[in-house]
Amino acid sequence: MRKAALWNRILTHAVLIFTSLIFMIPFVFMISISLASDSSVVLAQYTLLPTEFHFENYWNILFDTKVSLWLRNSVMITLSCTLATVASCALVAYAFARLRARGRNFWFVVCLSTMMIPSQVRMIPQFVIFKELGWIDTWLPLIVPNLFGSAYYIFMLRQFIARLPRDLDEAATLDGLGYFGIFARIILPLIVPALAAVAVFAIMANWNWFFEPLIYLNTEDLFPLALGVKILTATTSSGAPPMWNKVFTASMILIVPMILVYFVGQKYMYEITLSAGSAGVK
Amino acid sequence: MSANRHKRLRLTKAEKRETAWFYLLISPWLFGFFALTVYPMGASIYYSLTNWNMFQTPKFLGADNYIKLFGNATFYTALYNTFYYALIFVPVSMIISLFLAWLLNRNVRGRQIYRTLFYIPTLVPVVVSALIFMWILAPEGICNQFLALLGIQGPSWFYDATWTKPGLIIMSLWGLGSGFVLLLAGMQGIPQELYEAGYLDGTNAWQEFRHITMPMLSPMILYNLVMNIINALQLFTQPYVLGSQQSMPGRAGLGGGIDNSFLTIVQLLYNQAFKQFKMGYASAMAWVLFVIILILTLLVMKSSEAWTYYEGESR
Repeated sequence: MRKAALWNRILTHAVLIFTSLIFMIPFVFMISISLASDSSVVLAQYTLLPTEFHFENYWNILFDTKVSLWLRNSVMITLSCTLATVASCALVAYAFARLRARGRNFWFVVCLSTMMIPSQVRMIPQFVIFKELGWIDTWLPLIVPNLFGSAYYIFMLRQFIARLPRDLDEAATLDGLGYFGIFARIILPLIVPALAAVAVFAIMANWNWFFEPLIYLNTEDLFPLALGVKILTATTSSGAPPMWNKVFTASMILIVPMILVYFVGQKYMYEITLSAGSAGVK
Repeated sequence: MSANRHKRLRLTKAEKRETAWFYLLISPWLFGFFALTVYPMGASIYYSLTNWNMFQTPKFLGADNYIKLFGNATFYTALYNTFYYALIFVPVSMIISLFLAWLLNRNVRGRQIYRTLFYIPTLVPVVVSALIFMWILAPEGICNQFLALLGIQGPSWFYDATWTKPGLIIMSLWGLGSGFVLLLAGMQGIPQELYEAGYLDGTNAWQEFRHITMPMLSPMILYNLVMNIINALQLFTQPYVLGSQQSMPGRAGLGGGIDNSFLTIVQLLYNQAFKQFKMGYASAMAWVLFVIILILTLLVMKSSEAWTYYEGESR
């Protein structure tokens, strides 16, 4: 019996280690290509494990005018979208969780069902609206819609607020606080962990955002880095093949901040998905 | 408190005030809902019945766009590719995620580390994962080198029409971590007593999985299944990035790779709308996709009545 259990443990770890290695291969390969010299890139001969260590590729790319501009754009787009989402979703979620009004449940169900609508049926008229407003080739079509909240985040925050004891609100009402006062002074400080979770989700989504920047932005100087990486893979006007070491150096610059955000935000994310996730399917 | 008990014709002053505040506070969402969902959906139905290039006034056509769509061979190719991808990717990723979650749920040492390692690929932007897998699955890339060690002659993946879709599926499987994390969290939430009871009854590992883990996890599996199907049918970025690579055949056309073998519905839609400005035709395509997603979601939900289990429900 004990021997069988030992073998069982060894087998489990063998499978897990093997799978982990497979999952890590693309990262290792990316690092390997990012450290390759320009001459290896021309020959397109890469090895899984790095054989060359041109760390200056990372240093040089920060001085590449395009890449540093795209990186700055990514930071600005991500921060403004995230701030707008967190603020609007918190407010709407508070109303759905706490205020009693006719039609509340109806609107909440409507809000939830918008999650299931594929974006394609809204995309073309939205494009037309933003075109009429003269917003094409600006960041406005990316940022402004975040001011109107996002169903999934509203739902997660509502679940979180609904679990806070109501006595707090009642005590605050007796102290003469209005609805907005309760939100700002009582609820907001208590939902900081949930807001952090939403912020982490939003940062990740906005940082990696591809489709809308692709359709709304034409000027390369306005691109976020995720779109910029694709530009780096385009053939240059002189017909030279793309510099893949540069492509993957830029890719690593795109990935590393998200890994850091993940490690910082992990504990918040995990809890809120769990509470929203299990309640969401019931 | 049930809503019915409060159903009176007249609201008190305080209730009126609360209602007003409620609508004031949700007004950002309400505005966005009407301006960016309701109106666009209505407009999109209208566009789908017209011939419109964004510059001239729309010309009403009736159902012509839909008829044209269903007579178009490229649309069927895109439909086939998208279904092929979704029908293989969704079950395979579900099975692997469930298996990994099940392995990690057995008090394995280093669980946190494994969980992180499986999750981290989901942080990689899809543009980047498309590009790295293009190299991994290159005809003489590391995957085929590895297969050669085993004596298998690997296919040329994205340069062979029969292997482009499996290539895309492998690429997407790398990002299965987000579903896996949810399933693992769900498994950890299953009360230990159930397993203890099972142990007393002498269940083996498979019976335990089949009769305890699966039923308790079924609502979460349903949620994952629905979300995975919706996302899989909307696949765009990976094939778009691949198809626009310099070395990829068919780049000048729709960017769907060799013989359009990885052209997806959304990719075709993007081409029609934002490259050729056939807004009416593209809108019709969007609605067909919407109906397909709706039907599949409803089918899964309907079938789930037979296989999901909710606590506190008597059967």
